Amino acid sequence: MPFGYHGSYLRIDVAGGGVEHVALPEAVLRQFIGGSGLGVRLLLDEGAVHAEPLAPEAPLVLAFSPLVGSPLTTSAKFAVVSKSPLTERINDSLVSSGFAIAGKGCGCDAIVLVGRAAELSVLIIDEVDVDAGGKRTKVRLESAAKYRGATCRETEAGLKADLGAGYRVASIGPAGENSVRYATISHDGRHAGRGGSGAVLGAKNIKAIALRGTQRTAWAHPSELTALSRSLSKRSFGPATAKYRELGTATNLLTFNRFGALPTRNFQSGRFEEAANISPEQLNATRSKTRKSCMACTIGCEHIYGNGKTGVRVEYESLFALGSLCGVGDSEAVLRASERCDELGLDTISTGGTIAFAMECVERGWLDEPWLRFGSGDALMRAIDLIGSREGLGNLLAEGSRRAAHKIGNNSIAIAPQVKGLEIPGYEPRALQTMALGFAVGARGADHNRSGAYEVDFSDKVDRRHVTLDAVRHAIDTEDRAALMDSLIICKFLRGVFTDFYCETAEMLRNVTGWDVNAEELRETAKRIVSAKRQFNLLAGWTPAEDTLPERILSTPLPNDSEATLSRERLDGLVAEYHRQRGW
Amino acid sequence: MHVEFLGVPRQRAGVSEIEVQADTLGQLLGILSARIPSFSDLMNVDRLHSALVANLNGERFISDPQTPLREDDSVLILSADAGG
Repeated sequence: MPFGYHGSYLRIDVAGGGVEHVALPEAVLRQFIGGSGLGVRLLLDEGAVHAEPLAPEAPLVLAFSPLVGSPLTTSAKFAVVSKSPLTERINDSLVSSGFAIAGKGCGCDAIVLVGRAAELSVLIIDEVDVDAGGKRTKVRLESAAKYRGATCRETEAGLKADLGAGYRVASIGPAGENSVRYATISHDGRHAGRGGSGAVLGAKNIKAIALRGTQRTAWAHPSELTALSRSLSKRSFGPATAKYRELGTATNLLTFNRFGALPTRNFQSGRFEEAANISPEQLNATRSKTRKSCMACTIGCEHIYGNGKTGVRVEYESLFALGSLCGVGDSEAVLRASERCDELGLDTISTGGTIAFAMECVERGWLDEPWLRFGSGDALMRAIDLIGSREGLGNLLAEGSRRAAHKIGNNSIAIAPQVKGLEIPGYEPRALQTMALGFAVGARGADHNRSGAYEVDFSDKVDRRHVTLDAVRHAIDTEDRAALMDSLIICKFLRGVFTDFYCETAEMLRNVTGWDVNAEELRETAKRIVSAKRQFNLLAGWTPAEDTLPERILSTPLPNDSEATLSRERLDGLVAEYHRQRGW
Repeated sequence: MHVEFLGVPRQRAGVSEIEVQADTLGQLLGILSARIPSFSDLMNVDRLHSALVANLNGERFISDPQTPLREDDSVLILSADAGG
């Protein structure tokens, strides 16, 4: 077995069907590395493509990586991989911090959960000492009855108090318990956010996973790895990460608004007249702020703004989705809404996207909920609470905008802001057309984490509002790099510090594993992982018609920017060229 | 010409916009570095650090220091890493 791995995954049937360590061949590890890549491979091996995502037999994978536990900055991350209950396609979400280190410390490279517990439970994974100084993994279920309905934060704090501070906890909120199709899994205030992995865990009757492990894997070249880690950490303090450190992702808001790329009122506009009110620049001027880092991270991108007695972590995607997309320009309301989503365990992008869609349906007379109006912070909060509990209108909106549109009718699917069922993040596709391609072809749907094509739009490589087929290779390159980063795993906020991404990441992997891996091999590995996601989708029923954007985007120019038009013909051409270059 | 700062450049400049006279992008960046000492951290010789980009009139992104500028141009300087 190479350095950096335990060489097996822990397969747990929470219905009481047993616990086993399943060997992972070295060839599989080298081909898929860890994180998202390994998770997709395990899902394929488990036959997850044919399972209904919320059925007991549907597997949920928590995948670690060879870099977890190393001194490489930002490497304390894990991937949550499953078939999405929102899209019925592949879903992989990344989340940071100590759970990754403790989970790998339980002596496994991944945890696969199947089955459904008899009652709402906490899954506790621990290690016990055995003879000759070894460790053995011990798994048990405890009733989570007292945590039913508890927020993510309450659950995590309660379990640490009950079990001991040494445990790391990943949990779902009420939304996950209630099978909201875009419920999250939360750990340490961060979320495996997109695609509904929280609903998958909830369908297994698992409120939380608490684990504690101390087993470490050795590194092949420790002194070289330490030197590389120091160099990377030093570079992570420089200009390439200044944006995240000094302002956080929220600073995108005014930039995107300036470029007419800030989705507003359910993608009816790319400019929000109240953007300045909810910008981090305004929040900085009026509120206290603290910064926080994930474990083993030197960047410190979390900017937490005071909001009454508590602090709210503010990210661009939450500000856009709960602010401009819903037409809400009251910063107090947006922060409260973001905090409430975190408590309930809701993906802020899908929450905001689905509510904004419903607001427009009300405006058009397709939905008889007159209280639900663009711009109303109170309506936004009410809708979020209804979604979390699946009460009233919330039961419809908990299904996401695509399913809701099919029930509402009136061809409202044309204005549902989604691709493959996943709500579109805060990048107006008509103004950022390389990103539009990335959204259309994304394996998990409209997604800014698996495609970084917006980088291309904000460069001199393309004309962002009139992209040509030349943009395709750039979009593919960002998708490949993202697949590799999500499998190694390292944070994407580091991407600007690399001068030669594939060479430097190959050096990391060589020093950890001892493999003679080089840049060319990692390029192929990245493509293999992207293709594996595609294979999953094909087996799950993907058709070419899914690689597209909502009708509105392809038929309506953006107001205030007549240049920002994206025809179906142009998008179809880009998608066809993407498939051709992928060899699909 | 009109120069607008967004994100980190705005933070460093301490203002959101200023007026500058320059014939090329390189000349403009030189003037900004001289006028705003903290801005020079964001420069790499005569170009913006790769973490930043310049945009002309909200339309095309420019990087060549020889790029000519006109008096009525508007130059935006922002973080290249636009994502989140």
